[in-house]
Amino acid sequence: MHIVCVVKFVPDVDNFSYNYENHTIVRENSTMLINPDDACALGFALKMKKRNPQTFIEVVTMAPASIIPHLEDILRVGFDKATLISDSLYAGSDTYATSKILTQYLKDIEYDCILSGTHSIDGDTSHVPSQIAQCLNLDHLNSIQHIEEDSFTRSSATVKVESESSSITYEIALPALLSLTRDSSYRLPYVRYKNLNLDVSDKLQVVSNKLLGLSPKSVGLKGSLTKVLSTHTKKYETRDKIIVSSDDSGVEIVYEFLKNKGFI
Amino acid sequence: MKKVLIYIEKSYCDQALGLIEVTRQLYPDQQVKTYALIINSEVPSCLEGVCDVLLTLDDKFLQFFDQKGIADVFTQVNKQYSFDAILFLATPMGRCIAPSVAMKLDTGLVADVTAISNQDGQVSLIRPAYSGKIMAGICITGEGPIMMSVHSGIFTYQKGKDVVSTHVALTNLSYRYANIKVKDRQEKSIPYDIRKSTVLVSGGAGCTDIGKLQNLATLLNGHVSASRAVVDKGLVSRAIQVGQSGKTVSPSLYIALGIHGALQHVEGLKDIPYIISVNTNKDAPLCSISDIVVEGDALLFLTKLIQKIEEV
Repeated sequence: MHIVCVVKFVPDVDNFSYNYENHTIVRENSTMLINPDDACALGFALKMKKRNPQTFIEVVTMAPASIIPHLEDILRVGFDKATLISDSLYAGSDTYATSKILTQYLKDIEYDCILSGTHSIDGDTSHVPSQIAQCLNLDHLNSIQHIEEDSFTRSSATVKVESESSSITYEIALPALLSLTRDSSYRLPYVRYKNLNLDVSDKLQVVSNKLLGLSPKSVGLKGSLTKVLSTHTKKYETRDKIIVSSDDSGVEIVYEFLKNKGFI
Repeated sequence: MKKVLIYIEKSYCDQALGLIEVTRQLYPDQQVKTYALIINSEVPSCLEGVCDVLLTLDDKFLQFFDQKGIADVFTQVNKQYSFDAILFLATPMGRCIAPSVAMKLDTGLVADVTAISNQDGQVSLIRPAYSGKIMAGICITGEGPIMMSVHSGIFTYQKGKDVVSTHVALTNLSYRYANIKVKDRQEKSIPYDIRKSTVLVSGGAGCTDIGKLQNLATLLNGHVSASRAVVDKGLVSRAIQVGQSGKTVSPSLYIALGIHGALQHVEGLKDIPYIISVNTNKDAPLCSISDIVVEGDALLFLTKLIQKIEEV
């Protein structure tokens, strides 16, 4: 079985730099990590490979070349191939342009199933998996919490999608695109100590626009159908707060407040 | 005359009315004709007299999770009517279907919009990004309709004058069907809806004792809610999460215990008369919008406050 995991490296949202002039993330300067939902997709794929070592897993991501060390670390965990889609022309692509670029690569490769995460912690639009599925004419389910391992074959899979109001088990014909969430139990294992410096360069390929051959007008900021006009940190109307301490006097003040306002 | 299509999901009819307010803000001084698309459901009564045209499609083989099929439907309906904007509520399904439709129509899409700015005709759709650390104003540059999914609970419908709704049953559409079957479906009971609570006792990373939060909530005739940190730890259901990735709430009283209050959380608080926050850091963002800030350990304070109320 041939599994493709489409993943994204995201800036650590607690520690990132942002270019306020052209409204893009400075990916080169930010601490990057694998998006948590996407890590679950990788974790599930590896689990399947353990069950059946014949399984071939390709990890596909679009990012600047500076991501290579991170991608190598992921390869060292035990994946068969990693493809980095990278070109300076692609910088600033919105979700529409990104989906087009990824599709241009995915449409010509072999797979029985594409796995991805559902949400990303940076943009959190969830657009790209749905849009890739649309472009590749694949069925798609997201927010998947569980995939029944025995059911996961080349022709179909049984998956469970939990929402706030229901828990639904679907049988979906493959090939399809399945998006997992970090509420699932799948985790990306750490690199084994003996593999920390494993040479994985033969498993990594970098694909640029030379190969994909997209028109420069259809990618990057130019090919995007949305444009960030402004960014700001939101200011909220502040209140005339009173500050008290958490001792008995503070408790008393809060208690009186609740009583006066009729909550007690 | 502007034409706007809104997508109606069965379980979210009331909240979808907020999309009518979005329409008004998008085109404040223009005549707008609103269309609602309703698939496999009776026309909800709340839309009668509100939307100009109610488009219905009944086909039990076209299922609510079928992104391909529904995207095909949208494409054909758009071909027929040429909408200026297509709006979705940012529900789990809405956020899946919207990108499929946008891709099919080759148009830009903005997710989870929380505000609209309209200056001299330049429409900018505002949404938080990077875990709510940044608010971004985004415009759609393509030629297609303006498309967005809208965060639910932020835009409130204000009743305008009654319109006479025309019903149109869609026929002769051709679309694909997904090769997906539902094998099992279990409904979950939600004990309460934090959007309807009048008092919320909310726990954050600094106060994860759910039992104690519940004690105080009970004493105040309210409910427990939580920040994302607590939900991500798996301590409570995502159903009670407040914030950008959770729900927008409007109780009369919000007590925040051990919640730092990043933008993503504060974004979920709307028109709350009284906010009390308890935090070791009195300068935490949530404290600046509070009426009372208790500086100190949230759990300790919670315990003391419960004691005090029970004593009296």
